[in-house]
Amino acid sequence: MEEKQPVLELQNVSVGYDSPAGMVQAVNDVTLKIYENTIVGLIGESGSGKSTLGNAIMRLLKNNAVLTSGTIKVLGKDIYSLNKNELRKFRWSQMSMVFQSAMNALNPVLTVEEQILDVFLSHDKNMSKTEAKMKAKELMDIVSIDPRYLRSYPHELSGGMRQRVVIAIAIALDPKLVIMDEPTTALDVVVQRSILDKIKEIQRVKKYAILFISHDFSLVSEIASQVAIMYAGRFIEVTDSKSLIPSERHHPYTQGLLRAIPHLTAEDVTIEGIPGNPPNLVDLPSGCAYHPRCPFAFDLCKKEQPQIRKVDGRDMECHLYETVQGGV
Amino acid sequence: MSDPSTVLVEVEDLVIKFPVRGDRKRKYITPVDKVNLNIKKGEVLALVGESGSGKTTIGRALVRLLKPTEGTITVLGKKVNEIKGKDLKEYRRVAQMIFQDPFGSLNPVKTIEGHLKFPLKKHQGYKGKALEEKVGDLLLQVGLTPVQEIRKKHPHELSGGQRQRLAIARALAVNPQFIVADEPTSMLDVSIRAGILQLMNELKRDLGLSYLYITHDLASARYFGDRIMVLYGGKVMEIAESKELIKNPLNPYTRLLLAATPGSESQIDLTNMTNDPPDLSDGRQGCPFVHRCPLATDVCREKMPALKEAVQNHFVACHRLDEREQLIDFNFAKER
Repeated sequence: MEEKQPVLELQNVSVGYDSPAGMVQAVNDVTLKIYENTIVGLIGESGSGKSTLGNAIMRLLKNNAVLTSGTIKVLGKDIYSLNKNELRKFRWSQMSMVFQSAMNALNPVLTVEEQILDVFLSHDKNMSKTEAKMKAKELMDIVSIDPRYLRSYPHELSGGMRQRVVIAIAIALDPKLVIMDEPTTALDVVVQRSILDKIKEIQRVKKYAILFISHDFSLVSEIASQVAIMYAGRFIEVTDSKSLIPSERHHPYTQGLLRAIPHLTAEDVTIEGIPGNPPNLVDLPSGCAYHPRCPFAFDLCKKEQPQIRKVDGRDMECHLYETVQGGV
Repeated sequence: MSDPSTVLVEVEDLVIKFPVRGDRKRKYITPVDKVNLNIKKGEVLALVGESGSGKTTIGRALVRLLKPTEGTITVLGKKVNEIKGKDLKEYRRVAQMIFQDPFGSLNPVKTIEGHLKFPLKKHQGYKGKALEEKVGDLLLQVGLTPVQEIRKKHPHELSGGQRQRLAIARALAVNPQFIVADEPTSMLDVSIRAGILQLMNELKRDLGLSYLYITHDLASARYFGDRIMVLYGGKVMEIAESKELIKNPLNPYTRLLLAATPGSESQIDLTNMTNDPPDLSDGRQGCPFVHRCPLATDVCREKMPALKEAVQNHFVACHRLDEREQLIDFNFAKER
């Protein structure tokens, strides 16, 4: 049986920032595969490296950030081996990105229509303007915005509408992979929900592979089928989202997050914070970066970085589970 | 009037108007329109709503950073809606505010102890050794340790969670009875949020503080709030005890809000929901939710429903209360 080709394949990817204090590893040795028609969530706190990873996949790393090791393949193609011209064609037609702040992702002096047309016309030299305009209208339909807003400028739209436009631009060329970097942060709950429902609806039809980056645990576990949890640049756990409940065995950090979020409907409303603060990447703790905050840490955790291990079918980086009987 | 021995804050018919630039005439918007509420001693009232619902404006009016246009605010039996000068300074000792953004609400050139010394000296008359000791006590109380190291630092050396703890310590410095907390956790990392909520909970228990907890997150409102008040377009839509409100939401807007919150079991499809903001213009009529409400009728467009007690201690403003069961399988999606 032939194995399906993953849309996105990360193999031991590390990204570093060249800083005066030396190389700072923002993303450290992460491996992940995303197949078509799946949404994978990426959860992490600020500074955990999740946006850096998103940018690295798009090969959008700014000048002082570099891919220090590993390969990133999209549809089997190594993104970092493409030359400039190939990359320009490949990006957006095969992979695209929805940026965090719709406010800044749109050009304030161009109308919505001009910005959408730009995507079509710069990628297909043979397309006529009339045809592109038709397609722009279709796109607006997909994201449920009245086509009359095509003539509006970004500042005339509400935050939710702007985010829909950004999504429309990202899916304009029907890419296989869409990276969504906190697409609903800074939006109201109701607007957030309507955008999420829209994303799910589009995904059902178009069968995209989506990497959904967010810091909101409950939101990601709802939209994604698989979730990668990032801490200090590493995937400390990769799990299916259904098992994200406190009664299952998880990495202590995941457990901590699960306990830290008040639940809307559960009878038990107690919550418990994780002590300490997220680590500073310039000065990472030795061994497992989570050990200063971990209630189960023992000697080995301070000395050695744990390797990926299967625990109940989930990938985890934790010494606790190295002995068969270990458990939280 | 309610009993002054148990009620700390009493707000009656609060109206706040802001001028906006009109064509020739001066126009107004009314982000808070005839709001009534009360907060008992040691109680947390959670104020929930979307942006533009008027929740922050109410909070600012309650600590008198804003002067209400109409209505009265009575705190500890004293009217505070018109006070100024010395009386206002005195009121600062009763009511304090914690702001949303701990990166913007602290002075970057002041040390941590400087932030606390100022209110302690100005309002409490501390000096000398007693002042130094009180600063240490406050830092300890909010969990900013090691105290000796922290007190000499500047805000940029603290993490977001630590900054918010300092903001809480600063509010506590005047020994207040009432704190308005305006989305105190929304800018913090998930793993830090719970700690701040826990701290506020402990302070409520140990010091008998009352809070107005402003948030857009129903889950945290349920955790921290004794009662939840749902606001939309400057009007109170529903108010009830937290558990009751989550379990038995009666207003269509509350139901929508609940359905939209991650982790809810409600299956209302919001794909094509209109997300137009409510009309805030002065002199508007009818229910502010009417343009989004699937149950809306003519009477909803013409008259704002009054707040009625539907179940014991559960107040709702809705003309169509009896028809609400239709909402269960009603698709909120409407034609654009």
